[in-house]
Amino acid sequence: MGRLFIKLTIIITVVLLLFMPVNNFVKHSHDYNIDHSILAFKKHPYPVDIINLGTSHSMYAYYFKPTGLSHLDLALPAQTIQYDFKLLREYGKNLKPDGVVIISISQLTFANSEAKQVGNYYKVLDRTEIEPFRPIDYYSYLYLPGSNSGIFNSALSGKLKTFKWNSHQPWANNGKNYSGRKYEKVAAQYKEAVENNNIERNVKQLREMLDYCSEKGYQVILTMEPVHQSYQEYFNEEVMNRLVFQYLKALELDVPFLNYMSDQRFEENRDYFIDPDHLNSEGRKMFSWIVYKDLKKLGYL
Amino acid sequence: MTFISIEFLLFFAIIVFTYYLIPHRLRWILLLVASYVFYAILSIQFIPLLLASTVFTFFTGIMIEKQETRKQKKKVMLVGISVLLFFLGWFKYFNFVNDSLRAIAKYMDWNYTVPYQEIVLPLAISFYTFQAVSYLVDIFNGKQKAERHYGYFSIYFAFFPQLVAGPIERAKKLLPQFKVEQNLNYENLNYGMKRIAWGFFKKTLIADRLAPIVSSVFDSPNPTGSQIVLATILFSIQLFADFSACSDIAIGCARMLGINLTENFKQPHFAVSISDFWSRWHITLSTWLRDYIFIPLCKGKKKRSEIYLAIVITFLVSGIWHGAAWNFILWGLIHGFYRVFGDYTKHFRGKTASFIQLDKSPVLHKWVKITITFLLVCFSRVFFRSDSVTHAFENAQLFLTFNSWRPSGIVKAFEIFSLLDLVIFIFFFIIVQIFQYIERKHVSTWEWLSQRSIFARFAFYILIIVSVLIFGVSGNGFVYGGF
Repeated sequence: MGRLFIKLTIIITVVLLLFMPVNNFVKHSHDYNIDHSILAFKKHPYPVDIINLGTSHSMYAYYFKPTGLSHLDLALPAQTIQYDFKLLREYGKNLKPDGVVIISISQLTFANSEAKQVGNYYKVLDRTEIEPFRPIDYYSYLYLPGSNSGIFNSALSGKLKTFKWNSHQPWANNGKNYSGRKYEKVAAQYKEAVENNNIERNVKQLREMLDYCSEKGYQVILTMEPVHQSYQEYFNEEVMNRLVFQYLKALELDVPFLNYMSDQRFEENRDYFIDPDHLNSEGRKMFSWIVYKDLKKLGYL
Repeated sequence: MTFISIEFLLFFAIIVFTYYLIPHRLRWILLLVASYVFYAILSIQFIPLLLASTVFTFFTGIMIEKQETRKQKKKVMLVGISVLLFFLGWFKYFNFVNDSLRAIAKYMDWNYTVPYQEIVLPLAISFYTFQAVSYLVDIFNGKQKAERHYGYFSIYFAFFPQLVAGPIERAKKLLPQFKVEQNLNYENLNYGMKRIAWGFFKKTLIADRLAPIVSSVFDSPNPTGSQIVLATILFSIQLFADFSACSDIAIGCARMLGINLTENFKQPHFAVSISDFWSRWHITLSTWLRDYIFIPLCKGKKKRSEIYLAIVITFLVSGIWHGAAWNFILWGLIHGFYRVFGDYTKHFRGKTASFIQLDKSPVLHKWVKITITFLLVCFSRVFFRSDSVTHAFENAQLFLTFNSWRPSGIVKAFEIFSLLDLVIFIFFFIIVQIFQYIERKHVSTWEWLSQRSIFARFAFYILIIVSVLIFGVSGNGFVYGGF
């Protein structure tokens, strides 16, 4: 039995030695640290003029520094309204009295069922806010992220951005392949959400979040970020009505809704996008100026 | 808590540690409690059903034995089996039958008022029901004495390593092993750990990596023919990796407790015929069907047509056992047809092979047979994997279309993978193939490995653990866990 113990010890030691650099690689990857700006804000908070919530569409859409506004970006990839609300409750107290909350609405907003990347919130929210909270997942995410295949794959993909089939490149077939794949994914997610009554839950959450903003005196606008024309071919008016607008309409909201999805200043210009539905730094700067001016016109800020 | 979780490994480590710490007379209590806890964690609402089935089978077994005449014994056995099958039928097949009758009534314009029932399938019911039926039949046939110790019998019914997805064990194999005092044995622990690690490897690096890719095609509203061909082949690989991994973990866990379970797989995708395939795939189910369906059906039958009918019925039962849906029934019938056709044309096929001189090259002949068998199995799995009969026929049509097999189309279909996922999958798939190749050349890869240098052995063990740790994907249950 002693022999078995020694063997196991040797194997475990070598495994750990091999695992450590992998773990470090993941810990320093962009995807693992995607919450770094929120985390930095959490450590050194300051009053902000504007907060934006939402999914990756929103995360890549706003950069208000040139406008002189202080800004907190609380959007994270595939973020659900539930986590929008949790983040707003946690960080909303830093909003200046006349500050604005941008609630980004995307194709996924009502179809999103649960936070698939719940790890993104482990550091930026209190653990009591994490649902479902599983201690093993929590501690392994914080200390052994290399053991999470999803995060490892993201980290590796981040390093190997060009390692893709030609047809999988974001602009292959003028973005239609990417948009088509995204459409199928969203359609499947929407179907699942309808079957599981998640849409009603999300609509309710949005209403609660807006009531909360009203109670706290936050100024709110809903936005929809620009996408490339190839994306609009799949997410056309009819599809968007089915996925989003019918629910928004039913809510009868009394907050402004700025829909830039088919904004002509962006839709035909690839130079503003990383891929058909995410703005790049140039697009982000331009879009933020547009939003800033529109907010001013509406009497905000 | 599934097999593929840290929770399970911790749970199992505690069980093993306690098992060897306590005296033998108390071990059955530990195993029973562990089994019920494991089942309760997975499906607490069906613990009463498991208990009821156990108590019922236990006393029915004793009653069969107490009957004086064979006729009386048979009566009690049939009542016992009927009750067990009623449980299975109610939970697993009620809605299937109900929906089918409703569809017929609608077609015939009859009034049918039985409403749809919300019935959840109890975990492992198909597996423990079959074990119970074999137990009662074996007592009736005098092959098994009715167990008088309720504790040991309950473990046979609910032994946690094999409860969820088999192997389907016979009482005469398992019960005596629980009663014998198992000593802490280095070989058992060593072998058990290796089997568990290998199960984790296959499940997390092959099966669960392939699952979303296969689903992306079968769930797609308009897959191409080549995508269906590729996805079906990948599904065959996924299914084997998934189910054999479950068996590996079950066998490994049991071995660490000193219990030997029956091997469930012998590289089925290298079978040279459909009959050979069924002697390598889900062996414990195949032998169960052979012993308790096929042989009784063949009793007194001599005509070839009668034997063929028995074969078809046996495969029909196999299909029904797998799932309460018409696509599973069709899948079973397809295998029945394969089996009958294979037997009927055996002579003719042998002659054809001689005529084209294929038999002069035994290796080539063997690989031709393996390829044909694999493709036939793959075709049947189009039905196994599809969500409905309509989809199954659409997909089968695509699978059989000549254009779907164009090499350029198949190469293009690989784009269902991301390039990174494809590279990772190919790497681990090759490792599994090397493992299987060694197994085909030797009796056991583990034995072969034990004769290699310590560095080679350790490198392999470390590769398994590091790969699972870093590249392993988990989250899906076992495919056969749903049956």
